[in-house]
Amino acid sequence: MISFRGVSKIYPPNVTALKDVDLVIQPGEFVSIVGQSGTGKTTLAKLIIAEQRPTRGKVVIGDWDITNIKAGEIPILRRQIGVVFQDFKLLPRKTLFENVAFALEVAGMQRKRIATIVPQVLKIVGLEGKMDRFPREVSGGEQQRAVIARALVHRPKILVADEPTGNLDAINAHDIIELLRKINEFGTTIVLVTHNREIVNMLHKRVVTIDQGMVISDQKTGRYLL
Amino acid sequence: MIVTSLIRAFHFALQGFWRNIWLSVVTVIILVLTLFSVSMVGGVNVVAREVVSSIENKIDVSVYFNPDVDQQEIQNIQYRFESLRSVDNVTLVSKEEAERRFRERHVNDPEIIQSLDELEENPLGATLVIKAKNIEDYPLILEMLEDPDYAELIENSNFDDNQVITDRLSDIASRVQRIGMLVTGVFVLISILIIFNTIRITIYTHREEIGIMKLVGASNWFIRFPFVLESILYAFIAVLFSMALLYPFVHVVSPYIATLFEGYDFNLLQYFTSHLLSIMLLQLVIAMGLSVISSAVAVGKYLKV
Repeated sequence: MISFRGVSKIYPPNVTALKDVDLVIQPGEFVSIVGQSGTGKTTLAKLIIAEQRPTRGKVVIGDWDITNIKAGEIPILRRQIGVVFQDFKLLPRKTLFENVAFALEVAGMQRKRIATIVPQVLKIVGLEGKMDRFPREVSGGEQQRAVIARALVHRPKILVADEPTGNLDAINAHDIIELLRKINEFGTTIVLVTHNREIVNMLHKRVVTIDQGMVISDQKTGRYLL
Repeated sequence: MIVTSLIRAFHFALQGFWRNIWLSVVTVIILVLTLFSVSMVGGVNVVAREVVSSIENKIDVSVYFNPDVDQQEIQNIQYRFESLRSVDNVTLVSKEEAERRFRERHVNDPEIIQSLDELEENPLGATLVIKAKNIEDYPLILEMLEDPDYAELIENSNFDDNQVITDRLSDIASRVQRIGMLVTGVFVLISILIIFNTIRITIYTHREEIGIMKLVGASNWFIRFPFVLESILYAFIAVLFSMALLYPFVHVVSPYIATLFEGYDFNLLQYFTSHLLSIMLLQLVIAMGLSVISSAVAVGKYLKV
């Protein structure tokens, strides 16, 4: 479960990104956080992975109150949440295999297990033939698949995807969303941050709309409102 | 788990070095040039110091005693000077030894030898050769020799002749030392800044990677350690190359330096060979120490994600 209780985030000097947000996301849900650019969607995602801390309010992941999480505990939190970014954020000096393996290496997993798990996950996202390629040697869609593989490889209960289709063409974007849907079917909570109207309307899942830092609508099977 | 992480850190460091080979090569070249220049300045310092000290070593005070002075009395004076802290050593040249040396020196001058033979007694007195620890100590020794108790015993001392030279030499020696220290200091400072900045720029090119690693759950240590190891690797390779450059350089330069030291016991190549290990260790400590500090600091700057 992800819970935001009266969360506000103000960036210095005085930019309010989120204002009194109350939001609960249940395990196994697929929630789209929508809204126009600069409304605070990404800040919400950053609060979940403790890349930012709330100015006011409380953020809880599972039973873990991460409002004032200690710096040393952040890596432990991030190993339990998969994250997919718009700009992929793959390590350029590592192959796709190594990028996915890195998420397991940081947790101290043994080499043999990594060698078994990583090819399986890369196969799920359709990259079995491109494991030894570097990010610059594959397309944007393939890079995003590798990012999803990295986010999935340690079997997180939550996957946060911040504009995962922002840099992709329509076909690749559709494939990525289908992949996320499949992952959700296996029980992973998906938090999809997007401003892509078509995708949101196609999903028929819960839609939370944010405008000027506030939640203005929360629909169980909603559509893109703005 | 610690062992696995350590092995991974080494693996990542080598991988990083190899996959950014051009950046690594440029970093190593800058480190090599820096170490080489500092070593050169150090070498010039050594040569200057050796020039001064080898000339200093040639300086001593010879005290010529009257021939009739008792051996015991001379020995007492010898002990007295030997007990001084400023005196390095005192050598006694006996009357007989003085005569033998005189004959040796004039072996090709039969007239002098003949006149010496005609004398019934050895006309030469004993000599004390006093060597001070530092060139600045001679005036004090000379002052003691002027003691009225010694006036009747001593025939002559040669120090007055050398005083002007020794004074100037002492002045030059201290100047050379001061200038040498200043130049070395400036060079070391420049080197520290160069090494520090080179490593920082290298890390700067990886700043995004560091951020990504943090976002996928890597701990600070897990990110920092491979970068620190990589910079140790730069430093190690740089030291090897700088030594590999220094050796042939010293080999070529040494004969020219040797002409400066004609008649003195100094050989730059020999000095370099005998101090090889300490020079290398010093370079390693400086290069590695600076690399470790600068990489750890630079990585830390990008870890705040």
